[in-house]
Amino acid sequence: MNRTKSMFSPIRAWEYLFREPVTLHKKDVFVNPREASDRYRGFHQNDLSLCIGCGTCSEICPTDAISMVAVEGLIHEEGKKDERPAFDYGRCSFCGLCVDICTSDSLCMSKEYIHLSQDPDSFFYLPDASGIHEKEADKGYQRDEVSELLDLVRQKMDQEDPSRKSSFVEIMKGYSKKEALEEAARCVACGICTDTCPANMNIPEYIRAVFDDDMEEGMRQIYKTNPLANVCGRICTHKCEEVCAISHRGEPVAIRWLKRYLVDHASEEDYEAGALSSVTAFVQGKVAVVGSGPSGLSCAYYLRTLGYEVSVYESQALPGGVIRYGGPEYRLPEASVLKDISMIEKAGVQFICNTKVGVDITLETLHAEYDAVFLGTGFSLSRPLKIPGYEHPDVLYAIPFLASVRDYLRDMGPIPVVDQKAVVIGGGNVAFDVARSLVRLQEKLYGTSCVHMAILESRDQMLADAEELEEGLEEGLQVHFAYGPQSISIVDDRIKGLHVTKVQSIFDAEGRFNPSYDQTDQKVLEGTQVYMAIGQMPEYAYLNDEMRDRVLTKRGLIAVTDGGQIEGYPWLFAGGDIVRGPDIINGVATGHQAAKAIDLWLQTKP
Amino acid sequence: MTNSTNNWIECLKKETGLEAKEGTASLQYVLDVDKQEAHQTLAYLKRAGFGQLSLLTCIDWIEQGTFQLIFILMHWELGHHLIVRALLDRENPEFTTITDIYPGAAYYEREVYEFFGVHFRGSAVYQKPLFLERWDDMPPLRKDFDPQAYSDGKFPKREHPHVFKANVVEVTE
Amino acid sequence: MKEVKLFLGPQHPGMHGNYSVHMYVDGDMIKKARPTPGFLHRGFEKLMERRFWMGNLALIPRICVVEPDINEMVYAMGIEALADVDVPERAHWIRMIILELGRLAIHMMSIGGIGGPTGMYTATYWGIAQRDLILDLFEKITGARIYHMYIVPGGVRKDLPEGILEDLAKVLDQLEKNLPEYEELILRHPIIHTRIKDNILLPASVVWELGVTGIGMRSATGAKNDLRKVKPYARYDQVEFDVPTATYSDALTRMNLKYQEMHQSIRILRQVMEKMPPDGPVRTAFSPGSALRYTVPAGMVYTAVESSRGEYGYFIVSDGKEKPYRIAVRGASYAQGLLGIEKYLPGYRIDDASIWMDTMGVCSPEIDR
Ligand code: SF4
Ligand code: SF4
Ligand code: SF4
Repeated sequence: MNRTKSMFSPIRAWEYLFREPVTLHKKDVFVNPREASDRYRGFHQNDLSLCIGCGTCSEICPTDAISMVAVEGLIHEEGKKDERPAFDYGRCSFCGLCVDICTSDSLCMSKEYIHLSQDPDSFFYLPDASGIHEKEADKGYQRDEVSELLDLVRQKMDQEDPSRKSSFVEIMKGYSKKEALEEAARCVACGICTDTCPANMNIPEYIRAVFDDDMEEGMRQIYKTNPLANVCGRICTHKCEEVCAISHRGEPVAIRWLKRYLVDHASEEDYEAGALSSVTAFVQGKVAVVGSGPSGLSCAYYLRTLGYEVSVYESQALPGGVIRYGGPEYRLPEASVLKDISMIEKAGVQFICNTKVGVDITLETLHAEYDAVFLGTGFSLSRPLKIPGYEHPDVLYAIPFLASVRDYLRDMGPIPVVDQKAVVIGGGNVAFDVARSLVRLQEKLYGTSCVHMAILESRDQMLADAEELEEGLEEGLQVHFAYGPQSISIVDDRIKGLHVTKVQSIFDAEGRFNPSYDQTDQKVLEGTQVYMAIGQMPEYAYLNDEMRDRVLTKRGLIAVTDGGQIEGYPWLFAGGDIVRGPDIINGVATGHQAAKAIDLWLQTKP
Repeated sequence: MTNSTNNWIECLKKETGLEAKEGTASLQYVLDVDKQEAHQTLAYLKRAGFGQLSLLTCIDWIEQGTFQLIFILMHWELGHHLIVRALLDRENPEFTTITDIYPGAAYYEREVYEFFGVHFRGSAVYQKPLFLERWDDMPPLRKDFDPQAYSDGKFPKREHPHVFKANVVEVTE
Repeated sequence: MKEVKLFLGPQHPGMHGNYSVHMYVDGDMIKKARPTPGFLHRGFEKLMERRFWMGNLALIPRICVVEPDINEMVYAMGIEALADVDVPERAHWIRMIILELGRLAIHMMSIGGIGGPTGMYTATYWGIAQRDLILDLFEKITGARIYHMYIVPGGVRKDLPEGILEDLAKVLDQLEKNLPEYEELILRHPIIHTRIKDNILLPASVVWELGVTGIGMRSATGAKNDLRKVKPYARYDQVEFDVPTATYSDALTRMNLKYQEMHQSIRILRQVMEKMPPDGPVRTAFSPGSALRYTVPAGMVYTAVESSRGEYGYFIVSDGKEKPYRIAVRGASYAQGLLGIEKYLPGYRIDDASIWMDTMGVCSPEIDR
């Protein structure tokens, strides 16, 4: 190795003059740039119609190169923000982490690698699908399943096996701490869910609190917009999860279960500290709340945080309305309801039960005694389906039936009279509540169960949650999709069953509800009781005729302004089902809005 | 390098009473020592075959009010890395220089002084500036030093014009 | 005689990044040398405490421009040790491809680099051109030529692209064909010999005094102190290779060892192509959740690999959160780049200073961080 060569040996290098160079000619660099590799991390391209503006790319960016910029022509809608990422190429390090984490898969990098300009502004760039030079450039770096930076799979939750049908024990067992922390780690804190949640709950904030294992903060964040933490952590319709950023490529974050984790696992002190942190002393005025369902409770709680003295009038023996008398125990255990209500009681709300406004006390009296009145009376009656035989005493209704089941389960009533075979009419969540409660009672009484469900809609059109069907089938429900009830067959004064006919279509050409049937496909669903669960309706015993004329809409709802104020009766506010139709989280939201509106009105009233 | 058998752990225990624990990675050990005995322990370890100081650095445990000096030693015959750790009072961080044992530590000590403010008694040079020119704030690797606040206060904020090329957006749906 | 103060750098004295040495000279002879680092100090260690575990991937390769992958490797190894995750088999082998290609690239650069101080620019052009062919491979595998961000905690970022092994084989064949030419024209060239033979000596005692590792250590002590052998990572225990050593360390010997190491790297790469599993997973998650909330269990660990300049390590401390609590970087050239220059550069001539930097392996960004 140490033997040296002649001084002139580099002359041999002359032969290189005649070899093909490995370098490129300078003029080609711009005019005819060499093709970059397929994975090249060049300039960004973003399909603006796919992008949801979640800002996750901007969060991960290690160089703060991405700002989210409002784009003209886009609207802020459910599941999408009106902002899109804009890049500062003075900062970008071309790491591609933004591409790997993009929730909607809209972002990638192109094979372009040259951008020359004397205009520094051109290095700030809001990409669309065509790229920085607005000409089609081949896609370079793209995410694949290996470079993935999201966690697309939701934590499984343990649940009771189908033998659960012999009892009312709660089905979903809840997350353990480890599961909850790992589920919370999936969230990218974009807040897209908040915009869709009717109550605009601080979802990313309380998920963050779960992740940080800060239970008190979690409770505080929940109670900022929702005092029914236990109830909503269990039976909320979770519209938020439908738009969750993660749902574009994977399973949405289990927002509802994380809320439930917080309420289940917070210690008594953390719970109270969080829930009652903003409750203040009585300093303002007095407000009466009619009805103690979700909207009434919500309105009462937030009035307390604003310093009002609140009395809630409830016609039943216990406060809670639908959450006390509606939702089935296996979804919503009594203890959860109790916890929410007791927290509202601790906030200083007074409950006056067994007092029906319009019967035991008039609305006028309330008007005289209080500064303002909130109506949250809900949909308290079941709607009947007037088919032949509907007046038979063994035709029963969802609302009273579910109430009797709950009373029975809390030892406040006898076991409901349930026959061995029953038919349920309806295909919403309430119908499933009825059917699955029936199964449980039958199992208890007879050791076996037989419940038919006649559902007008087809399986794809089903109104109930998918898990209701899945679990119901596990428990042995016999579900008949797209069969419309025609009549109840009665022999010797006993119900024998329900006549149903196959549905061809539910709506007519004009889109009106007008089912048409295939008369060749008929059957009888056997059962000696028929339960009607096709919908609920309000009861306005407390409204006098004059008020009815003035405030009721064609659909039977109460017309209100944004905050829930009723026109012509400025002291009167309303929320919940009677304003927006039945939904618990809507109730919570409208109750909260009304509390703020009441406060505003009372503060600014001359 | 007198004692290069692989039972240095036992010898160490016998002679100094200190116990090295297994570290997080394979062939890695951790040894916690008192500030007072650190110097002689390091001298002992060097004789025991840890001829090389791979790294000297520091951790600021601000919540506990301590600094932790970290000496990473390497035993080439065995391939063992030994992390020797000593806690210092954060208010009054002082240590004895180890340049007499590992001369290569000289610059590490200067660095730890510059970035954490740990004093190395017995060294004439540890206070000489190394990386930071005309530094005018607390040692910057301390946890309470906020680089963002420092640069915001020190340098004028450059306002980006943020003129984004407004590409035409087609709204779908 | 009057002593004059001269500045070497910081404007890129050769290939070593922005680094400066203040030299007090008497005639041509250096009397005193003051290494002045800090021109590339970007506060990486502080920055890393303020970024997500994944986000740091964009920073760490920048600590060594020419051989960035070692940073990714030690960072990944540290997190894997703390989180106790197993890297998939195939990923180990892919990592070796990356690391050895990196070694080839930096040795090519260094052989090119000797051209500057010796005035033999042929070496520079050839070295750089050859390295570029390796960068082409990097671009295909990782999507970038310099800062690859490819070795990630838990494995590698993407599987190898199709057909890459054929490309690799081609580059290796071509490199192997060219190496004797480089040897002849560079390492055996009389100009080089005159300039670097018996110059810049590194006695074994000085190695231990400073803590020099890598080629410096091996060329002086004759010991096969290579971390790939002493504590093998990835799958270096499953490939055969020699660790070239010497017992007389002058600048030429060190260049020769680099040259021999290139042959060993080619040998390793050929075995990797043969032995690596043809498919299978290449990445394991080290944490649940999205990258914004990846966490690493609390603890501390030191991980080191054999870089072209010696032991290169990260000391990583986690407090269990989404960002590292502290990361300290052990740059391999710290020993020779600071104390080494201060103590042992004096006595050489001004124009030898750059040879010192090149053949000792002084990389300023890893000293500054
Ligand atoms: S490529 Fe990396 S640095 Fe550039 S915008 Fe994306 S995340 Fe930020
Ligand atoms: S992560 Fe993707 S979807 Fe979200 S804002 Fe960025 S580019 Fe759009
Ligand atoms: S739950 Fe989903 S939508 Fe909501 S902040 Fe987290 S990732 Fe975004």
